Amino acid sequence: MVGSPMVNLYPLANYTFGTKEPKMEKDTSVSDRLARMKVNYMKEGMRTSVEAILLVQEHRHPHLLLLQIGNTFCKLPGGRLKPGENEIEGLKRKLCSKLAVNSPSFSPNWQVGECVAVWWRPNFETVMYPYCPPHITKPKECKKLFIVHLSEREYFAVPRNLKLLAVPLFELYDNVQRYGPVISTIPQQLSRFQFNLICS
Amino acid sequence: MENGGAHAAGHSAAAVEIYPLSRYYFGAKDAFPDKDENPLDRIQRLKSNFASHGLRTCVLGVLLVELFRHPHVLVLQVKNCFFKLPGGRLRPGEQDVDGLKRKLSRMLSLEDCAINDNWQIGECVGMWWRSEFETLPFPYPPPNSRRPKECTKVFLVRLPVSRQFVVPRHLKLLAVPLYQIHDNSEVYGPIISGIPHLLSKFSFNIIDDD
Repeated sequence: MVGSPMVNLYPLANYTFGTKEPKMEKDTSVSDRLARMKVNYMKEGMRTSVEAILLVQEHRHPHLLLLQIGNTFCKLPGGRLKPGENEIEGLKRKLCSKLAVNSPSFSPNWQVGECVAVWWRPNFETVMYPYCPPHITKPKECKKLFIVHLSEREYFAVPRNLKLLAVPLFELYDNVQRYGPVISTIPQQLSRFQFNLICS
Repeated sequence: MENGGAHAAGHSAAAVEIYPLSRYYFGAKDAFPDKDENPLDRIQRLKSNFASHGLRTCVLGVLLVELFRHPHVLVLQVKNCFFKLPGGRLRPGEQDVDGLKRKLSRMLSLEDCAINDNWQIGECVGMWWRSEFETLPFPYPPPNSRRPKECTKVFLVRLPVSRQFVVPRHLKLLAVPLYQIHDNSEVYGPIISGIPHLLSKFSFNIIDDD
């Protein structure tokens, strides 16, 4: 039997959060977003997106880093892959775009770990499932979540229009109304990992 | 199943082979006496075991078959009402894998003993902790640093192309599709209804030679 995979979690205080220029959302509404998704699907086929699970430790409990847009909507750092792009390279590119200083010499050394969840979008609608539903032969999107191992210390530059939050797993679990089905089920998907909670 | 576009290169998903339900045979054996105690007596028994042996560890198996091109989980139904996964409590000092094999044989094989049974126990896909025996399980140790009373480990079990399942008469074995247990905590409880989330990272190879 394989032993539980280990993840080191460092205190939130080990990380410094600066700001950089705003990164606006490409779409202003859900319907705009779905319309743009349809256009891209016609050109490039199924959309593959990758998102990062970045974890820190506070009060000896794991916390997930989330980007908040406006007052309520939270998302994981990540986004759509270019056609044919490698998943790991694409995720690093998105992490730099959302969270790193815009300078190649200051890029954090992103350690992308294993894939912990895969979600499928059967139609041009907001609903997604953790399996490809039966009778769906042409899913419109496949979204993969990867755990990313943070270094002991890091400097993040967050776009000015976004807020970076550290949310405890107990707050996410079962909280679909606030965080949606993808983020609220991350605690179950992380439950098999052994977290090494490092205190300063 | 085609994807309508190439999967980006990079991480290869962990693959699991699953075989059609029709490849498996189902029989019955004598019921074993289930501890027919009332819930309060059970909690008392669990608490005194905790005082003697510490953390209660349970191991559960996720056994998958294919039907209508969709993965189905083998679930046991007790007394025509509640559902559980095959598995149970580890004895003091018993290893996870040995304990799960023992429980799988007791609940699903002609022999009660696991020695001749060829169970392939795969990776642990999830863990649940209870801070008290009467409370709900959560997918993380209690955040207030209290010692948990029970830990449940859920393992993927890789089934061979065919085998015989022999189930004690007081249990019913069902093959339930992922889409039915998904988000259905009211019927199946948090552990079974959470299985699709724990399995989502796997890619299922449906092996059907017909």
